[in-house]
Amino acid sequence: MKYKLVVLVALIGLVALALTGCQETTASEDHSKIRVGIVFDIGGKDDRSFNAAAWQGVQRAAKDLPIVLRDIEPGTPNAIEPAMRAFAERNFDLIIGVGFAQAPIMELVAKDYPNIRFAIIDGESKLPNVASLVFKEHEGSYLVGILAAKTSRTGTIGFLGGMDIGLIHRFAKGYEEGARSVNPNIRVIENYVGVTDAAWNNPGKGKELSLAQISKGADVIFTAAGNSGLGAFDAVEQQGKQNGRATHFVIGVDSNQNMVKPGFVLTSMIKRVDNVVYDIVEDVVNRQFSPGIHVFGLDKDAVGYSMDDFNKDLVSPDALQAAEAAKKKIIAGEIKVTDAIGT
Amino acid sequence: MSDFLTFLLIVIESTIRLATPLILAALGGLFSERSGVINIALEGKMLAGAFTAAGVTYAADVSFGMGSASPWVGLLAGMLAGLFIAAIYAITCIKFKADQVVSGAAINILMFGIPGFLSGALFLSSGSTPQLPKDHLLPQSPWIIAVAIGVLVAAIWYVVYKTPFGLRLRSVGEKPEAADAAGVSVSKMRYWGVLLAGVLAGMGGAYLSIGQSSLFTRNMTAGRGFIALAALIFGKWRPVQTLLACLLFGFTEAVSNQLQDLIKFPSGEKLPVQFIHMVPYVLTIVVLAGFIGSSRPPRALGIPYQKEK
Repeated sequence: MKYKLVVLVALIGLVALALTGCQETTASEDHSKIRVGIVFDIGGKDDRSFNAAAWQGVQRAAKDLPIVLRDIEPGTPNAIEPAMRAFAERNFDLIIGVGFAQAPIMELVAKDYPNIRFAIIDGESKLPNVASLVFKEHEGSYLVGILAAKTSRTGTIGFLGGMDIGLIHRFAKGYEEGARSVNPNIRVIENYVGVTDAAWNNPGKGKELSLAQISKGADVIFTAAGNSGLGAFDAVEQQGKQNGRATHFVIGVDSNQNMVKPGFVLTSMIKRVDNVVYDIVEDVVNRQFSPGIHVFGLDKDAVGYSMDDFNKDLVSPDALQAAEAAKKKIIAGEIKVTDAIGT
Repeated sequence: MSDFLTFLLIVIESTIRLATPLILAALGGLFSERSGVINIALEGKMLAGAFTAAGVTYAADVSFGMGSASPWVGLLAGMLAGLFIAAIYAITCIKFKADQVVSGAAINILMFGIPGFLSGALFLSSGSTPQLPKDHLLPQSPWIIAVAIGVLVAAIWYVVYKTPFGLRLRSVGEKPEAADAAGVSVSKMRYWGVLLAGVLAGMGGAYLSIGQSSLFTRNMTAGRGFIALAALIFGKWRPVQTLLACLLFGFTEAVSNQLQDLIKFPSGEKLPVQFIHMVPYVLTIVVLAGFIGSSRPPRALGIPYQKEK
């Protein structure tokens, strides 16, 4: 009796599985449009920074190209894998993972779905169906380091990182090297908000750390800390202005953040996640998807610093010249910026 | 020497700013727990207060042109949001006698999601509110805040220990049967306790979003509600001791913020950040284990009261 029951349950299970399988094949045949799924990082697509840039890129792609776009914002790191698998189970054509933390998870998921194309931003994978999109953040950070050192009057500048990880060290190291190329004796105070993913979402602590840096003399602070970095914007704004010019500046990251607190943002180290994401979607639409590791640096204009109406009076011509000169030298290979991850 | 004094002043100011949300939430927890209701939902109430305060301040400023009055409207709204969430919690725990830990955890999970949902509907965002300019925030001077907190703690101490209301509140938390026999309505006192906790925790959350920061971001409390709960236990459920416990937590965090990147080994290598981040927690364990002695909770804490038939 018991044996029969087990067989029955197993049979029902098999039939159910087969049915779902059928549904999916017919569903994917029906779809004329390319389907793109994007899984964001813990910061969420409104971090006004890294995730926001990825979100802009896919939105622009959805407008220009014949695709169907779906996005998931995982609330906790545990929700990333189910989110990716949900897209994969529904046979999406391209699944984009945003952020280094998703690389090991994508490695697992992509192995199980060899026919689906994956793209990981800021992470690396050698699987044949994954495109790894990595940036030379150290090169862009080197340039804003030059701007920071040229702007600082105290000879002390700050760096506010989010989570203490290799990727963020890459920003810190490049920034420090750039600053030292201007002033070898400059003091760089390097702080991190935390060692867990909560570090991206703690603007209160970001502000306290920035105030601590300011109290130690820092007058330019570069932040690479997601939402926590917005605390640094508040901290410099609180220091006020003298003769119409801010006494302390912040340097934004990933997206152009110059307009967040106009007059207080020296520049932003931009990382064109938006363009890179757009291009990978376009590649899939044109059936030109190529897996492997794609590196985006100054040479491809994928990193850099932003200049616009909000900060054109804040950066001195001398500083701008120095940064432009360094940019040319980096592209030409005359300056080698240390990559803290060392790949 | 004067360098040391400036350093000390900076640390004290930072301590006050960091401790304020903890103090408000912990004092809220005190009312609730003294009446016999565990308040694991402080985190959720803080999130409710933080989100509402930031959202309402923004709306008051942009849509109603209230200018510098808007943070006060936001603060009030944050307190009301805390009250609203506390009311849900109070009804489940007191009227329906649900398990307090489980329903508290449910409130926390609920408030983890609701701000994201609402901010999508209201601000076309997914979990954060627009950033406010600095003149539309609560007073930034730590000394004003210190005075306000001092007055509040004194008032709470007076209410809890010197008024009939406080005596009844404490009695339903210690021995509800006896209080009931003496004619005190146990459920009424517990409603008061839980609702006051909601107002204070909402206020703590509001300070976090429109005082200490200038916007709400997803799950921005980052565990502060639980630290407040720890401070309450650490402070033996007494207002002044709880205040001191919160200040200690704030102080260790302020010091660890200052120490990052400052301490170097003789070899010139920096002390890893992880060690610095450990300082507040290690200190807490040391203090809890070594100096506090036994901390006795209210006797009826966590037990729903069932009238004898």
